[in-house]
Amino acid sequence: MMKTVIKTTNLEKVYNSSVAPVRAVNDVNLEFYEGEFTAIVGPSGSGKTTFLNLIGGLDKPTGGEVTIDGTDISKMKESQLFDFRLRNIGFVFQSYNLIPVLTAKENVSFIMLLQKQPKDQMEKRAQEMLEQVGLSDKINSRPNQLSGGQQQRVAVARALASKPKFVLADEPTANLDTESAFNLLDIMSRLNQEENITLIFSTHDQRVIERAKRVITLVDGAVSKDEKFER
Amino acid sequence: MITLIKISWRNIWRNRTRSLVIMIAIVLGLMGGVFSAGMRLGIETQQFKETVETQISHIQLHHPEFIANPEARFRINDGFSIAEQIMNKPWVEVANPRTVFDGMVASANMNAGVRIKGIDPHMEALTTGLDELLEDGTYFEQEGRLPSVIIGQRLARELKAETGSRIILTFQDIHGEIISSSFRVEGVYSIASPSFEERTVFVRASELNEIIGDQEAVTEIALLINNLDDYQQRTAELKELFPDAEVRNWADMAPSLHYSLEFLNQNLAWMLSIIILGVSFGLLNTILMSVLERVNELGVLMAIGMKRVKVFSMVVLETTLLSIVGGSFGLLASFFMVKLLNINGIDMAGAGGAGLEEFGYSSIVFLEVPPNFYFDVGVLVVIFAILASIYPAWKAIRLSPAQAVRQE
Ligand SMILES: Nc1ncnc2c1ncn2[C@@H]1O[C@H](COP(=O)(O)OP(=O)(O)OP(=O)(O)O)[C@@H](O)[C@H]1O
Ligand SMILES: [Mg+2]
Repeated sequence: MMKTVIKTTNLEKVYNSSVAPVRAVNDVNLEFYEGEFTAIVGPSGSGKTTFLNLIGGLDKPTGGEVTIDGTDISKMKESQLFDFRLRNIGFVFQSYNLIPVLTAKENVSFIMLLQKQPKDQMEKRAQEMLEQVGLSDKINSRPNQLSGGQQQRVAVARALASKPKFVLADEPTANLDTESAFNLLDIMSRLNQEENITLIFSTHDQRVIERAKRVITLVDGAVSKDEKFER
Repeated sequence: MITLIKISWRNIWRNRTRSLVIMIAIVLGLMGGVFSAGMRLGIETQQFKETVETQISHIQLHHPEFIANPEARFRINDGFSIAEQIMNKPWVEVANPRTVFDGMVASANMNAGVRIKGIDPHMEALTTGLDELLEDGTYFEQEGRLPSVIIGQRLARELKAETGSRIILTFQDIHGEIISSSFRVEGVYSIASPSFEERTVFVRASELNEIIGDQEAVTEIALLINNLDDYQQRTAELKELFPDAEVRNWADMAPSLHYSLEFLNQNLAWMLSIIILGVSFGLLNTILMSVLERVNELGVLMAIGMKRVKVFSMVVLETTLLSIVGGSFGLLASFFMVKLLNINGIDMAGAGGAGLEEFGYSSIVFLEVPPNFYFDVGVLVVIFAILASIYPAWKAIRLSPAQAVRQE
């Protein structure tokens, strides 16, 4: 029996734009299990970002529920959500992930620092994660001294360093060339196995979809396909 | 917290040019502020010294009739004991009884109307520092056949007199009889006010009193008080104590000086406010720009769990650090500016300062900046910087993390 990490029930998000209301997420019922490596795919505007924001507690649904480890986060207050995200969810965005004035190691330590982890433990873990993503020689480099792919690897290392319940990555490869994109996905997939971390990423990049073990396709905010692969 | 300071500090240097420009604005603003304040205090102190301290003192007592008719017969009864009584008050620095009246001065060359001040040399030195104003001769040291007189430089020029010359003073005695008496010029003093220098001569009160036939004569008591801020209250106190006397303070005696000092004060307050507001808006603009450029970045920070208060503090901290650095350099620069300008003073002669001289003020101004002024202004700059950062900081955290991350 696999443990459910995230469960959505009749999840809905309607944006009240000036023209007409947009149903960006439409009655989504999904369960994500511990250790899964899932890709959310779909055409532009299909609601991938909106869906990730809802399950990541960055945005409030207009209907339905998001339950994480049995806790309904759609009922939480703003300030509780900040803390919940800090303790339980890792994030990787398309860009602007890193604090430009901090080194790679300081960036990786940042979440652990906000969590007030002891310094030596934090340093050890940051070092270890940077090794995992193949950047042990870039520990003291600032983001502007790193390539786009290296920056995303640092962001992945940061998201995983604090051992969150799951990691959400919204189009992490969108700004990367093919080689860097594959490389990043390989690292994510390896960390998914080694650290047994639940990983959900969105993409409309056909090249990287096949790295995922589960692929959920959204069309107009609704789930149109949910496929599992043995890889 | 340490990391927050570190990040804020480094954030300042992300756009070096912009930070340097705003720091230069702070430095120049501070220099301007310190300069105008120093100038104001300098002029104030100088005008005050030259008019009040060397000429009229803080408070004076007279017979009520004396103001209109400065003659020996309008004397203060029991003047010496009143002066002593006043002197014994703890808030009085010095109470100086004088025999003052108007008369004529004559040399072989010309004659002119003058005010004759019979003084006790020691008391006068304590009150106006007359002994230090001497350009030539000595200060009531000689005990010759003729009584000594000390006259102003301009008067000396007009009379073609110098130290050692004999001049004749003509005045009324207590009965209104006209008396002429010879005096020897013992010293020549100089003072910023030309009219005072032209019209005032000093003799020993004891000798003058003997000539007019009244050893007890006192027509004026001039006093300095310890704390000038209390002058109005002390004036009222003296009025109550001596209802028969006319008690006037420096503001009554020199109303134009009083108003011009008030005016300077108000001017300065406006000027400082404008400078500080200008710098604050510059700062606000800079910080706002830097925040708006970083919406995505700040959104990511909030998304990963950095609380709004922390993001807010980070922005405020950036401004605070910026203003502390700019402010420190500004105060340092101001300090050296004041030191440098005060080596020779600032000659206002070119800037309409010649006019100042005609009003009896010297045209060389020395900036006066009390040490705590630097501190006060420094604190003020930091406070206004923090105020200026509140709006941008609020802007930074206003968006929800989802909105901020999405923003293009
Ligand atoms: N703040 C908003 N206000 C109004 N409509 C919005 C807002 N955000 C998103 N939408 C709309 O919601 C729909 C889903 O957007 P979303 O960004 O989730 O799609 P996406 O699948 O992530 O697209 P992409 O692949 O381009 O990133 C779109 O039609 C979009 O225009
Ligand atoms: Mg998207």
